[in-house]
Amino acid sequence: MPPLRSVTGRTRATLLLCLLAAGLAVLAACTPSHDQSTFDPAGPIAARQADLFIFIFWLAVAVFILVEGGLIYAVIKYRKRRDGEMPKQVHGNTRLEITWTIIPAFILLAIAIPTVKAIYENDAVPQDRGEPLEVIAIGHQWWFEFRYPGLEIVTANQLHIPTGRPVVVTLQSEDVIHSFWIPKLAGKLDMVPLNDNHFWFLADRPGMFYGQCAEFCGIAHAHMRFRVVAAPEEEFREWVTDMRTPVDAPEPDSPEAKGRTTFLANCSMCHTVDSYLANGYPTEIAAQDRRWNTWVESEGDSPIVSGPNLTHLSLRSTLAAGVQDLSEENLRTWLRNPGSIKPGTRMQVNAQVYATEDNRIGLTDEEVDNLIVYLMSLEPGEGGPTVSVPPPDAGGEPNAARGEALFAANGCSGCHSLGEDTIIGPGFKGVVSRAGTRVTGVSAEDYLSESIRSPSAFVVEGFSDGLMPILSTLSDADVADLIEYLKTIE
Amino acid sequence: MTEAVQAEHHEPVEDTSTGLNNRKLLMWAFLASDVMFFGAFIATYLVYRNKSLEGPYPNQVLDIPVTSVSTFVLLMSSLAMVLALDGIRRNKKAVGRFWILTTAALGSVFLGFQVYEFYEFAQMGLTPQKNLFGTTFFILTGLHGTHVTLGVMWLIFMALVVSPTPKERWGLVLAIAGFYAVMLSTLAGIFTGEESTLAIISTLVGYPAMLLLIFGILGMFGGAWILAQAGRGDESSHHALDLEIAGLYWHFVDIVWIVIFTVVYLISATDGTPPGSAPFVLPGAH
Amino acid sequence: MTTGTITIPRIVPRPTSETGIWSWIGTVDHKRIGTLYFFTSIFWFLTAGVEALLMRLQLSRPEAEMVSPEVFNQLFTMHGTVMVFLVVMPLSAAFFNWLIPLQIGARDVAFPRLNAFSYWLFLFGSVLLNVSWLVGDAPNGGWFGYAPNSENLYNPSNGMTFWVLSLGVLGIASIAAGLNFIITIINLRAPGMTMFKMPVFTWMTLITSVLIVLALPVLAVAGIQLQTDRLFGTTFYDPVAGGDPVLWQHMFWLFGHPEVYILILPAMGIVSEILPVFSRKPLFGYPFVIFAGIVIAFMGWFVWSHHMFTVGLGPAANSAFAVSTMAIAIPTGVKVFNWMGTAWGGSIRLTTPMLFALGFIAMFTVGGLSGVMHSSAPSDAQQQDTYFVVAHFHYVLFGGAILGIFGGIYMWWPKIFGWKLSEGWGKLNFWLMLIGFNLTFFPMHWIGMDGMPRRIYTYPADQGWNGANMAATIGGFVIAVSVLVWVINVYLSWRRRDPAGDDPWDGRTLEWSIPSPPPHYNFAKIPQVEHLDDFWFKKHPELIAEFEGHHGPRGAPEGAQFDDDDYYEDEVHAEDDETGSYAHGADDSHGGHGIHLPDMSYYPLVLAAGITLAMAGLFTEYWVVGIGGGLIAWGMLGWSFEPVND
Repeated sequence: MPPLRSVTGRTRATLLLCLLAAGLAVLAACTPSHDQSTFDPAGPIAARQADLFIFIFWLAVAVFILVEGGLIYAVIKYRKRRDGEMPKQVHGNTRLEITWTIIPAFILLAIAIPTVKAIYENDAVPQDRGEPLEVIAIGHQWWFEFRYPGLEIVTANQLHIPTGRPVVVTLQSEDVIHSFWIPKLAGKLDMVPLNDNHFWFLADRPGMFYGQCAEFCGIAHAHMRFRVVAAPEEEFREWVTDMRTPVDAPEPDSPEAKGRTTFLANCSMCHTVDSYLANGYPTEIAAQDRRWNTWVESEGDSPIVSGPNLTHLSLRSTLAAGVQDLSEENLRTWLRNPGSIKPGTRMQVNAQVYATEDNRIGLTDEEVDNLIVYLMSLEPGEGGPTVSVPPPDAGGEPNAARGEALFAANGCSGCHSLGEDTIIGPGFKGVVSRAGTRVTGVSAEDYLSESIRSPSAFVVEGFSDGLMPILSTLSDADVADLIEYLKTIE
Repeated sequence: MTEAVQAEHHEPVEDTSTGLNNRKLLMWAFLASDVMFFGAFIATYLVYRNKSLEGPYPNQVLDIPVTSVSTFVLLMSSLAMVLALDGIRRNKKAVGRFWILTTAALGSVFLGFQVYEFYEFAQMGLTPQKNLFGTTFFILTGLHGTHVTLGVMWLIFMALVVSPTPKERWGLVLAIAGFYAVMLSTLAGIFTGEESTLAIISTLVGYPAMLLLIFGILGMFGGAWILAQAGRGDESSHHALDLEIAGLYWHFVDIVWIVIFTVVYLISATDGTPPGSAPFVLPGAH
Repeated sequence: MTTGTITIPRIVPRPTSETGIWSWIGTVDHKRIGTLYFFTSIFWFLTAGVEALLMRLQLSRPEAEMVSPEVFNQLFTMHGTVMVFLVVMPLSAAFFNWLIPLQIGARDVAFPRLNAFSYWLFLFGSVLLNVSWLVGDAPNGGWFGYAPNSENLYNPSNGMTFWVLSLGVLGIASIAAGLNFIITIINLRAPGMTMFKMPVFTWMTLITSVLIVLALPVLAVAGIQLQTDRLFGTTFYDPVAGGDPVLWQHMFWLFGHPEVYILILPAMGIVSEILPVFSRKPLFGYPFVIFAGIVIAFMGWFVWSHHMFTVGLGPAANSAFAVSTMAIAIPTGVKVFNWMGTAWGGSIRLTTPMLFALGFIAMFTVGGLSGVMHSSAPSDAQQQDTYFVVAHFHYVLFGGAILGIFGGIYMWWPKIFGWKLSEGWGKLNFWLMLIGFNLTFFPMHWIGMDGMPRRIYTYPADQGWNGANMAATIGGFVIAVSVLVWVINVYLSWRRRDPAGDDPWDGRTLEWSIPSPPPHYNFAKIPQVEHLDDFWFKKHPELIAEFEGHHGPRGAPEGAQFDDDDYYEDEVHAEDDETGSYAHGADDSHGGHGIHLPDMSYYPLVLAAGITLAMAGLFTEYWVVGIGGGLIAWGMLGWSFEPVND
């Protein structure tokens, strides 16, 4: 987009804005931010769409003046003057009629050509604006999931993009039809189950852009919004690094630690908080699929639903899918009674922790406070990006040290202590010797391997099924290494 | 209808703007509407062809020889319909009535085949809920079957209309009841596992079905014999228009079946597991 | 099917009452059926208006909590469904019924009992739809019912089942009515009335009926598919089993776009009748207007995907549908220009009907122009599913269809009821409606472009949408007041009931040649038609030469003398009074002039009740289906064996 054209577009937009708003100036006099105005494009797609609209708008204004003016003129001029006057009985005028068939046809041709041109231009990803950033955006009832397959990052409701570089988005929906719309960056495109859509957009300037679901998708349709944070390449890179950096472990017995325990017990089945881990990306994909399938198979009745990924929540600016600013106070309102912010939200309808008499959260005030402290503490720690796991040994011998790295990278310690305490899952002190005695005829190795592969295979009494994710990315060597590591915990 | 016949049988030239009978025109317009109805269903079938995520697939259940027979039966019913109208027009009432009943009977046999087919498919695990093929197949052919059923009822009604005397009525009731008794017992035999009609008769399960079959045959022929005697030369051409309208409907339903047979059976016969079967792609699965 | 030889016993004697409730229940008279259609759909118009006002109240302020999101979803679903299927379509049907036989010089429609059947089915279907409110399960998936949001998994309540089944009932009613009017117009025209001597409204009715007959089955198919999904577990629109939500959209809009023309063409016909009368000039370019209508109806089948520009059909499909949509603006423009040409050079009387007709042209033009903005797919990507679209189609359907229909109400009220509506109140009604309408819907263009999506029950306070929303709410109430003014007008005028006379507006078409209200048999003597606007030229034979002179080969040779005697059969001519009524002097009884009209019948009612019950039983109790089936059998058999006249 040449800057000149964009400027004229904006000037015209301002004119138009004045024209349309003239009658409403008084009423609209408060200080609105117009975050979703289509007259303030920040990228070539939206600019082209706005330019086209403004072009048609002025043509329409001309036709409007012609028709309405002609009509008013005719009514005034040919008003009945006296009784019984008999106008000339004209049946028509073929030449005139052909004229006013052909002239509109040319006007429409003048619209059709730039229209088709814009359709194809907006379809083609520009080749000269740098390497496109690939994003998968998935609509859920009622929030947006964003996946960066190249960067192995998963986040929700806040899309970070670099400025000046095309963003190629694959649009998908998990449940019903949604629509992906960032008015200042690009007109909408639907997210249709089974029908992947692809489009691209580009932010010419940094900023926080507002997006909203534009296809009616059920009870919380009005509250399905998101933000796009466009930042210069460097800032974007920083964000990427942050998203790969683990949270610092909370001090034992601190409110964060208590909040974390509460979170793991009540929230972690639907919300992932550690997608910075080595296998975080594929794990989260598998986890979302599992949550979704659980919900579908129960015909919408399961306590598990697809929940937004909460990794580094405190880096976001909103909660409840772009509905409110993220603050402790709003978070408290949201956690206690989500419906007061977003009626119909699945969290309140389905989650076990809301299965109380009044559908408020089934936690004490203190637990909620700790939970808030914990959630607000979800931010990149001091330790730098995730330590990568070394490749498996060439010889194929199980390697306990590598197993330890895998244990950390996959976030196993979130649920399993190395002592005897239960966090969510059993503590792992002496786990291998116990494992050998559980099922007759099944060795400890087989028992553990099966438990890692399919967590539902052997559920020990007193523990719940369905909490442990299926770590589908683990290779056989990885599993062997993990078991080798577990053997060292005695 | 020729001018001569009209004049002879007091059917007035239609007093309408076009000279066409209102009801006949209504039927044509209705059929145009019905074209859209079946068109939309057939389009749905085509859109969903090869899109089932699991079996049974068409090549596992479709039995082209059997359906070809039932298609032939339905096509023959159109021929019978033409003969029926001809008989009624030419005041050969008993002949016309015979062909009306034959049309209805052939239509019923077609429906019997459809019941058999649905039953067989269900046995093989194909139900309307099973997959997209089941969904589209059963609803499309089922609605066509509903059309045929209505047509059969209309034809029986027409047979009743051209048979005003008690004797004719008794003949009708006997013949129709007998025919359906035969059909019922045959279907019962087939559903108990036998393939050929001869084998059914010899090994028919249970006494009642056998009795049904025997009484059915007796009733059918007895009724036919009564009807052949009754009201042979009666004037019937004043019913010709009614029958012609019913016939329009009947031929249309036949034509729709030819399309369905071509699309759903012939060209789908070899459809198996969809090529490169891409089941429901979960979001993000790359 | 009738036969003299077979009778089945009557359970209830054939209705014969000429007054009282039974005279309405058993009626097969097109004028009475038109009146039934009219008042039923006015009732639903008021209902849908209340629904709209509730929505506007909720949206008047940001973050308002007047209605819950669940109720809001029900409100907009029902408002849309009711306005389309229970208001604009049946109001048009009321005019079809009132006017078509009168305009073509017929004594009734081709199938009077089928006509009654259509009405009863419409009534029961509309009740079935609205019963959902009473059981607290109103449909909540939008009037477009997009799958899979309308499937059981996402919509487990009975709401969408109510919706899909009542649309089925209403669809049958519409198709039956459409068939009836096609046959009536094709076959029951008075002698001499060739197709191109038919009034424009009759033409538009014919085109609309053809669209109904061809488009409604597609909706029926989509409905059956959704219904079997919901009730019997098939997988037409279940993505988990591979069902494609986009197919639903194709089906719905393949019906939905012709439906748009089903809604607007009758109003265009009404306006095309009003303008010539109050300009005292023939319609400018009659054949062009007719052909434009035909072309619109034809092209209306090739533009449906412009409702789906953001579905992701790809650039080729979007380009094709963008261009075809732009093309349809051409015949629409032709109509607008021809209407202006009609007023141009006329002798314009600004009566209430004329004001509404002019308002129609002015407002419809705005809607048409915003339609062109939508037709440009990239531009539409910003407008789709925003308030800009809401503004657009209300300009077309309210500023267009409703204003046109109100014009028709004022125009033909004296003909149907025999007394005029007050002009003073009528003009107040018009101006309030025009102002309220623009106050409601014009600001919506603005908030739509400012990014406010449709179908949201609330919005944040800081987006700059507050003022426009408040204005729209105020405008909504002004519209409500204007409708109230109309009701007051009807009441006050009814109290006075000043006889309107046969031809209060100096009309042009045959309906103005007979008494007001028309006698049961309409025309004592079927008129012999010679001209387009036959009655006008009968009143003004001196104008024929002037008019025909321009007419080329279709008209009489230039300078030919008009001989009254040749044009009207002697008997009527002899009894002509100065208004030239075809019916005056007729023997006001069935027997007069050997007129045979169909007797009354209750079987249409029985059959319609049976169909509705059978549908309703599908999702309640199966024995209800049994009762419905029984009524269907009784209705059909009784109907088949019942002679038209006993």
